[in-house]
Amino acid sequence: MKKVIIVDDSIAVARQLEKIINSCDDFNVVAQGRNGAEAIKLYHQENPDIVCMDMNMPVMDGLSALRSLCMTWPDVNVVMITSLGGVGDKYSEAIKLGARDVIGKPFEAESVIKTLQKIA
Amino acid sequence: MAVKFFGQFLIEQGAISHSSLLKAISLQEETNRKIGAVVFEMEMMSQVEIAKVHQSQRNADTRFGDKAVEMGFLTQEQLQQALVRQRNSHIYIGEALVKVGALIKKDLERYLLKFKEDQKPYAVEKVEIPKSISNQEIWEMVADLTKKMLVRVADMSFRPGPCQIIDNLPSRTMVAEIGFSGSVSARYLLTTSQDSRNIIARAILQEDDIEHESIAILDDSVMEFINIVCGNIAAKAAQSGFHIDISPPITHQQSDRGIAVPEKHTGLMFPIYLSDGEVFELAIFIKNDPL
Repeated sequence: MKKVIIVDDSIAVARQLEKIINSCDDFNVVAQGRNGAEAIKLYHQENPDIVCMDMNMPVMDGLSALRSLCMTWPDVNVVMITSLGGVGDKYSEAIKLGARDVIGKPFEAESVIKTLQKIA
Repeated sequence: MAVKFFGQFLIEQGAISHSSLLKAISLQEETNRKIGAVVFEMEMMSQVEIAKVHQSQRNADTRFGDKAVEMGFLTQEQLQQALVRQRNSHIYIGEALVKVGALIKKDLERYLLKFKEDQKPYAVEKVEIPKSISNQEIWEMVADLTKKMLVRVADMSFRPGPCQIIDNLPSRTMVAEIGFSGSVSARYLLTTSQDSRNIIARAILQEDDIEHESIAILDDSVMEFINIVCGNIAAKAAQSGFHIDISPPITHQQSDRGIAVPEKHTGLMFPIYLSDGEVFELAIFIKNDPL
């Protein structure tokens, strides 16, 4: 079973995402963070297979945390989550920085699982 | 004088009772189906496909039918057939009141004229931004998209009031805020009453029963709602050549004073009236252009 950490400042979104991910036998959510700085700390602690991280967060935003994670752990699997579905430059920036995929919010359970299965 | 629904106006006029209005609303709810229900009844789409369209509508400013066609679930011809059926079976509250025997047709016509006269000052055909405000098209789009998302994401029924310039945003149960930077500098604020917060939370959490949810989760749902709305605003602005960055959402809890529009800003407020008489507001505090 693959370990997943969720990083989103919205408790409601993180709870929904955890429910979706844990509904699939392939994955288990092991921890949650609320900002980019916590993402880095949790990655170091938990060594997860996948990080699902929001782009727009306080303290340290998702793209800054993604940059930092990819520099320190080049093999990290990060899936970015964003409400900026149609904003091309944010999508491109995330992919260029090393995100494995980007999911638009609010998400469909099916597409979240498919995305995780594709990269796991 | 205030923005009213026709049923509310009739009660105030003593033309109908509260219980007959409820009867007429029930009849309306049974009769007026959403386009998703119509295409399901006509066996054009499955419930799973309908749910998929609803979900993807949250990420785009598109009507159900257009989205269903785009996703390949309906043809244009099927959509037209369904829209005709929906239109033909639609009844307004006045007609429903006549059907349940609460009002006679002649009185309905008379009260409709009176209602239109009463509501003339509040009629809002489109979003009107005061001429003195720059980047009008952006603020029109912000207000328009917020109202559309309240309908499409939160499934809310409301009447929008006209735009007002304000110095202070009234005190409400809770206010969620997101900052805009880039091509424009502004603060986007959505106030909520208890009812509107609950409606939004049900939609965002995708749960009918939210009674056991904490205030923090309900507030968080409203923040997530404005995050989705502002994400769509940024995407739509980008299509028109504007670059808008949005900050993470924050909340303001109820205070007696409300929220003052800061110096060197212009406050725009768009009241949103719910059918039960509650009101909440969209507000935009726009940083003034340097002289």
